[in-house]
Amino acid sequence: MLITVENLAKEYKSYQRGNSFGEAVKSLFVRKPLYIQALKGISFKIAEGELVGFLGPNGAGKSTTLKILTGILYPSSGKVDIMGYTPWRDRKSYVAKIGAVFGQKSQLLWDIPPIDAFYLNKAIYAIPEREFKRTMDQMVELLGLGDLIRKPTRQLSLGERMKCEFIMAMLHKPEIVFLDEPTIGLDVIAKDRIREFILEMNKTGVTFILTTHDLSDIEHLAQRVIVVNHGEIVFDNSITTLRRHLGEKKIIAVSTVHPLPDLALPGINITNRISPFQAELELDLTVFELNKFIALVNKTSTIRDLSVREPQIEDVIKVLYQLR
Amino acid sequence: MKTNLRIYLAGVKTALASRMAYRGDFLMSMLIMLLVEMAAPLITFLIYENGATFPGWNMYEALLIQGVFLLGKGIAYPFFFGIVWNTIERVREGTFDLLLIKPKSVLFMAIVTAFDSEDLGKLIGGVTLFTLSLKRLPAPGWGEWLQFFLLFAVTLMVLFGYGLIMAGLGIVWIGNFRVYDIFSSITNFGLYPTAIFSKPLQTIITLIIPIAILGSVPATVLLGRPSAGTLGAVGVGLLFLLFSLVFWQWMLKKYTSVGG
Repeated sequence: MLITVENLAKEYKSYQRGNSFGEAVKSLFVRKPLYIQALKGISFKIAEGELVGFLGPNGAGKSTTLKILTGILYPSSGKVDIMGYTPWRDRKSYVAKIGAVFGQKSQLLWDIPPIDAFYLNKAIYAIPEREFKRTMDQMVELLGLGDLIRKPTRQLSLGERMKCEFIMAMLHKPEIVFLDEPTIGLDVIAKDRIREFILEMNKTGVTFILTTHDLSDIEHLAQRVIVVNHGEIVFDNSITTLRRHLGEKKIIAVSTVHPLPDLALPGINITNRISPFQAELELDLTVFELNKFIALVNKTSTIRDLSVREPQIEDVIKVLYQLR
Repeated sequence: MKTNLRIYLAGVKTALASRMAYRGDFLMSMLIMLLVEMAAPLITFLIYENGATFPGWNMYEALLIQGVFLLGKGIAYPFFFGIVWNTIERVREGTFDLLLIKPKSVLFMAIVTAFDSEDLGKLIGGVTLFTLSLKRLPAPGWGEWLQFFLLFAVTLMVLFGYGLIMAGLGIVWIGNFRVYDIFSSITNFGLYPTAIFSKPLQTIITLIIPIAILGSVPATVLLGRPSAGTLGAVGVGLLFLLFSLVFWQWMLKKYTSVGG
């Protein structure tokens, strides 16, 4: 296994502060400590070449996990083995083999072109000139950046900047790349280009671990999803299994010639009754088979139109987030 | 070592390129830095011009002490003292994390990304004041120059130590730029000959808090009249550097990043 995490826990000490002026003054002298359990002993393994997505609401613990895995934070307890390194203990030699993109923290320098920042990384990672140029040209072409890397960063769009962040993180050819919300705030076209780039790099054997709030990132990229909530892993499997997590359900929209029958039956959950002739519902296939449902409605009301689709992944996630 | 020097120069290059993007502001800032730092020597000049003196010290001797003090700051501020604002700012914004994902020591990365070109104004001021005042004084011998360079190396180490302590405080004392004011107020004692202060204060700024080493101690060997407790000041300076390195590591371990 490339990454092995066992019983990883992290506790933060924070201080309670009131919101009134009096409480603010009081907090100058006396502060009440608050202990936050960001991670409560999580364990997982990731193999070489995997593309794993971490999902979770704000404060769930996914960024803390990523920061421990990148050697930024010390855990309170637990074991992490990545390529034979313990990130926080062997930080210097370990981080030479990984890359990281933080969607909200830029490695570029605002007033000068990205290429100057690339050259700074070239010096830091001691990348030979020829290799540096080859890798940079390759990535610039893959991301469709062209001469934009020679324009001051402040003149680039958010999408262009994010593409440059990827080059910055991957110039030294890391074996693992950690992505913390890499598509945050990007338009659809920029997101697509970045996702294509990630998939292309993944094909060459680079392992990617990403945290995101954007479920379409997960749907487009991740072969495996780890859902974290309240510092615990509440789900760890494939996207398909994630969809099945609520059971074999289908979302059905039906409109009929005659009024719909009373559908208050086991396995049928009407989510929106638009009119006597039209409704949207959730059908649990383990209780009520689809062909039997169609036959029932057609017999009583004659179907005019019917559509069947998978449940939205958001619905599944919402249920997972509510689990403790 | 060679690689680290190459990284440092790459950092200086990018910092200069960043700063040069606004040339007018860059030159103006450098000039302002120079003027601000020249305030103390100017006051000294006015004091002597009006007949008052620091007892036992002529004007050029007093200005040499201030020249050494300014020279020390002129080297420290642009080349390594930037760790203070760099750390405070990065910890507050959350970009301190980016230093931790580089395969170098965090301290080195904090220095590399903190070259402060506008503080070169201090260096110009220091070199000018040092040269001008030394020209009006008897030329020091080789032995005095050697002693001066050794003591000045300790001056730079002590300044580095102050930088480390202030930057370390910035890790746990989020966003507090006031540390600069505290540092300036304390070290201003170093602008004047130690001998003009009362005995207890001389002991404090020489052997407890290393302030005399920032100006008076190295300058007085160049004048051929070494300060009392010079050796002690060196010892305290080295201990101070050691303490500051331990303090920085301790604070670094306390780093908790920002929410993401």
